[in-house]
Amino acid sequence: MRYTTSVTKGLTSSKAEEVLERDGPNELLPPKGTPEYVKFARQLAGGLQCLMWVAAVICFIAFGIEFSRGTLGCFDDLYLAITLITVVVVTGCFGYYQEFKSTNIIASFKNLVPQQALVIRDGQKNQINAMDLVVGDLVEIKGGDRVPADIRIIFAQGCKVDNSSLTGESEPQSKTPECTHENPLETKNIAFFSTTCLEGVATGTVINTGDRTIIGRIASLASGVGNEKTPIAIEIEHFVDIIAGLAIFFGFTFFVVAMFIGYAFLEAMIFFMAIVVAYVPEGLLATVTVCLSLTAKRLARKNCVVKNLEAVETLGSTSVICSDKTGTLTQNRMTVAHLWFDNVIHAADTTEDQSGQSFDQSSETWRSLARVAGLCNRAIFKPNQESLIVVGDASETALLKFTELAIGNMMEYRERFKKVVEVPFNSTNKFQLSVHELEDPMDLRYLLVMKGAPERILERCSTILIKGQEMPLDEQWRESFQTAYMDLGSLGERVLGFCHIYLNENEFPRGYKFDSDEMNFTTSGLCFAGLISMIDPPRATVPDAVMKCRTAGIRVVMVTGDHPITARAIAANVGIITEGSETVEDIATRKRIPVEQVNRRDARACVISGGQLKDMSSEELDEALRSHPEMVFARTSPQQKLIIVESCQRLGSIVAVTGDGVNDSPALKKADIGIAMGIAGSDAAKNAADMILLDDNFASIVTGVEQGRLIFDNLKKSIAYTLTKNIPELTPYLIYITVSVPLPLGCITILMIELATDIFPSVSLAYEKAESDIMHLKPRNPRKDRLVNESLAAYSYFQIGAIQSFAGFTDYFTAMAQEGWYPLLCVGLRSHWEDVHLQDLQDSYGQEWWVSVIEICQIADVLIRKTRRLSIFQQGFFRSVDVDSMEQMSLTPYIQSYTPCYVSFMKGWGQWWFVPIPYGILIFVYDEIRKLGVRRHPGSWWDQELYY
Amino acid sequence: MAKDAEKSTWKDFIWNSRTREFCGRTGSSWGLILLFYLVFYIFLAGMFCLTMYVMLQTLDDHKPTWQDRLGTPGMMIRPRGKAMEIAYNTTNTETWDMYIKTLDNFLSPYNNSLQAEKNEECIPDQYFVQADSGDVKNNPKRSCQFNRTFLEKCSGLDDHTYGYQAGKPCIIIKLNRVIGMLPGKDGQAPFVTCGAKKEDSDKIGEVEYYPENGTFNLMYYPYYGKKAQVNYSQPLVAIKFLNITLNEDINIECRIISNNIPPGTVRDKFAGKVSFKLRINTKG
Repeated sequence: MRYTTSVTKGLTSSKAEEVLERDGPNELLPPKGTPEYVKFARQLAGGLQCLMWVAAVICFIAFGIEFSRGTLGCFDDLYLAITLITVVVVTGCFGYYQEFKSTNIIASFKNLVPQQALVIRDGQKNQINAMDLVVGDLVEIKGGDRVPADIRIIFAQGCKVDNSSLTGESEPQSKTPECTHENPLETKNIAFFSTTCLEGVATGTVINTGDRTIIGRIASLASGVGNEKTPIAIEIEHFVDIIAGLAIFFGFTFFVVAMFIGYAFLEAMIFFMAIVVAYVPEGLLATVTVCLSLTAKRLARKNCVVKNLEAVETLGSTSVICSDKTGTLTQNRMTVAHLWFDNVIHAADTTEDQSGQSFDQSSETWRSLARVAGLCNRAIFKPNQESLIVVGDASETALLKFTELAIGNMMEYRERFKKVVEVPFNSTNKFQLSVHELEDPMDLRYLLVMKGAPERILERCSTILIKGQEMPLDEQWRESFQTAYMDLGSLGERVLGFCHIYLNENEFPRGYKFDSDEMNFTTSGLCFAGLISMIDPPRATVPDAVMKCRTAGIRVVMVTGDHPITARAIAANVGIITEGSETVEDIATRKRIPVEQVNRRDARACVISGGQLKDMSSEELDEALRSHPEMVFARTSPQQKLIIVESCQRLGSIVAVTGDGVNDSPALKKADIGIAMGIAGSDAAKNAADMILLDDNFASIVTGVEQGRLIFDNLKKSIAYTLTKNIPELTPYLIYITVSVPLPLGCITILMIELATDIFPSVSLAYEKAESDIMHLKPRNPRKDRLVNESLAAYSYFQIGAIQSFAGFTDYFTAMAQEGWYPLLCVGLRSHWEDVHLQDLQDSYGQEWWVSVIEICQIADVLIRKTRRLSIFQQGFFRSVDVDSMEQMSLTPYIQSYTPCYVSFMKGWGQWWFVPIPYGILIFVYDEIRKLGVRRHPGSWWDQELYY
Repeated sequence: MAKDAEKSTWKDFIWNSRTREFCGRTGSSWGLILLFYLVFYIFLAGMFCLTMYVMLQTLDDHKPTWQDRLGTPGMMIRPRGKAMEIAYNTTNTETWDMYIKTLDNFLSPYNNSLQAEKNEECIPDQYFVQADSGDVKNNPKRSCQFNRTFLEKCSGLDDHTYGYQAGKPCIIIKLNRVIGMLPGKDGQAPFVTCGAKKEDSDKIGEVEYYPENGTFNLMYYPYYGKKAQVNYSQPLVAIKFLNITLNEDINIECRIISNNIPPGTVRDKFAGKVSFKLRINTKG
């Protein structure tokens, strides 16, 4: 034997140990994760972070220059550098912690209970950990087991496996010992690691373990697909470019001005550096991180776990969602949807919680039909378990559950009708039958019940039950049967026919030897009971969610392995294909013209099957995606999913992809945001995805989209706020250089404002409620709608920033004047003010001053500012409830118009807070006018220039 | 190829001849936006001027609104020297000539003749209060005479070199003016005391104060501001080092002693005190 194993006795324990030693345990090695330190380093190397590193280096240089010149006035530069680095590191830790936490959530999915396998070694059956399996082991699998390794079947009985996680095929595949194909994926005698055995039993030898299994190979392939940069990372880089450009531009301008005015080169250089550093929005990094993690947290509560923080925003800019059908859009359980008996189609309740309407169950025919459905059924409730766990194939499970609900305790019901013999379903007969004793012990007839493909069942029937009466099955009935069958089939439902017969008591007395192979009993001239059709019904929340997507301008494309008709029916059901939309084929049928003559652009909807897709060039696919807004891809392989995603991306869309199978992982990686299913998803899919839906529910994606959009809006507000603040922090420095007033705002004070006080309002913007129309707008165009655009910068810098600067100057000069320094005296005062040896500087009143007074004031004052912030912070918060406004920061900037952080003196502060009130009102009024203009005249000059 | 495309977009951005756009805007667009900002900034500047004007209207001409930072006044010396460092060589006239000139200039308004002409003699050892009666300002306010002769040997009248030539230099100390300040209560005048810093304490030698005890007489307080009290003569104290160690740096600190001026904290280098360095060289 090739594997030195015995077909009956298996390996010997010693041999098994030897092989285990050689091959290692039978488990998928987790894909080489990024080392933790690299993950952490990545947190420190984003765009904003780099900006701050540069700023810190500049500070060190400036410090070095001053130090070597011996003109070290204070340690501001050093403190600044240290603070900058601290901010980067602290936010880095924060972000790292966030990601670490979600990684942990994901890790917790992995089966904690080790998988068991029934293995035959030394001729004895043992239950061992699947991890310890080796090549050559003889294993037994039965319905419900996960296949513990790649296995070549040597014995099988009715064995069916679900290969969907590997190949995406949703139909169970039967496994037999014959080798039917050279390709291991096609042949019938190999069962794959991690697939599930649905029914039957099989014995086989292990041929591959661990990473050498087919699934292991696919999993390692997936890690080869490159990851795309997230939109938010691109936005932030763009923002950093702008900031850096502006900083250098301003810095250089003032460097030249300073040189021109007559400062020494080194001094001008320090000015240059100070301006560049003042431009760095120190608080923004923290704000972005906090915003993202807050949203990630919020999403986690709604069953979306975000692996990569930045993915939160990506979801918001998504314009196409390629969604799986099974489990995501649907409930992933076959459910009885319709019944046809008494020549009427009855609709069954398909809701998840059986809250819907039921049909009329009074008819005698219904009782017979239910009896057939209940008896001719191999599915069982797992004993000693909650009654909800069912073993059996999907449609039998559906029937069992359905009858359980309609009749009551099915297990007991079957006891009453003792099963005498049964013939299982096979693909040649296309029916399944069983013979039962009757419930009434006096009645000695046998009951034969049969179900199967409706046309085959009808062939065997000569009568039909109508209102409990057997009627001869004439042409008229046949026709109505055909109509009903077509109707149900066109709904994409799987239809089964049911019939029964009471066997003749004389011909088949008690004790008659029924033979399932010979079928030595009546199997024709039966009585037709009815049709039952089943479908995997859509989740209740999905149609709403799809509707929301549509209003939000997001295309939902269904990509499924299922049959086109089923796919289309579900698509129509959930609204992916809207009412009244037609496919090319529909139009052709309606107009009675050949398909080729239909103008493809007339058809809104389009269903493309995997077969068609195979023959399409990528241009044709692009064209199809462009011309049909409502797309369904059916019978697609997971590889084709990747092609579809690429095509969407070529059309400029930001694509979200859902997936669960191992083969989905390339598509998940390729997508801008890959969404894995938490319940049905394989580990490989979860590894490749950016986000995980814990409840597998499509509706959760929509929540995610909303949150993502909200975060973009809020970040925009936050950035506008942060940028605005930059100007009034910078202008004091500019007038300090140009008109030589005493320095109104020191570096340390700026840092305090940025990091201690302004973080709160910035972050509070992350809590901002969504503006009402957030889900009615088109997704942002990543090329046009930037996070920071010209108008936002202009608005922050040149409008609000300017007003605030003036407010600050007013306050500054007021404070100075009230202490005895008239504005005109201040101009040109700088050199005297900073001269440590001039301790009798005269103010406007003739008083004489010593100078270090000022430094103390600044520090004392920042503390006061903090408390003041609180009250107005609340005010800003209330204001933010007003969803009508485009952005809600009108009042907040006034608050931060850094009133008393200028030269500040102990007693005056209370009053100086009120000095800039006129400017606060001005900002408020100006902004309201601006927004009014934007709302009233969309598209006008005003809108274009002033809306960001 | 991609790079070429980028280059041309940059060029296009600066001047796009096709759409006649300069930096992404047409002429009229630039005009409009500049006009907008012009109006915007004119309005802002106007508002700024208005608020400044209103603010200045609220100020009192004679007394600043807040004086909280001036609780402990600073002190200053004359001559200031270079960065509070007085160093000279007795044999080289040029090294101390500038100090003499500074002192001459500084003391000229205190000449007895000028003082007699502008100011009046006051009753010593009590505040010279000139209260306003309600809204009627009692202006201009008179000032008390501080005659140069009060400084005796440091007045520069007898010894034109203020002792610099002899290696016994005079330093004049003044207390910063603060409007309305009344130093010393219960008739006890504040006075100046000077000492060397620790390691130099035995090198400072004998010091003489003029006027006697280095006091600032109470009659020079309160100060009413330069507008109301134009001819205010700030009281001075001169110190003369009689036998200071030569050819060495000596750090000296003078402080004001008063029973109602809180001593500045250690951190405040200039609150109620003044430090300077003195070095008198004798060798050529």
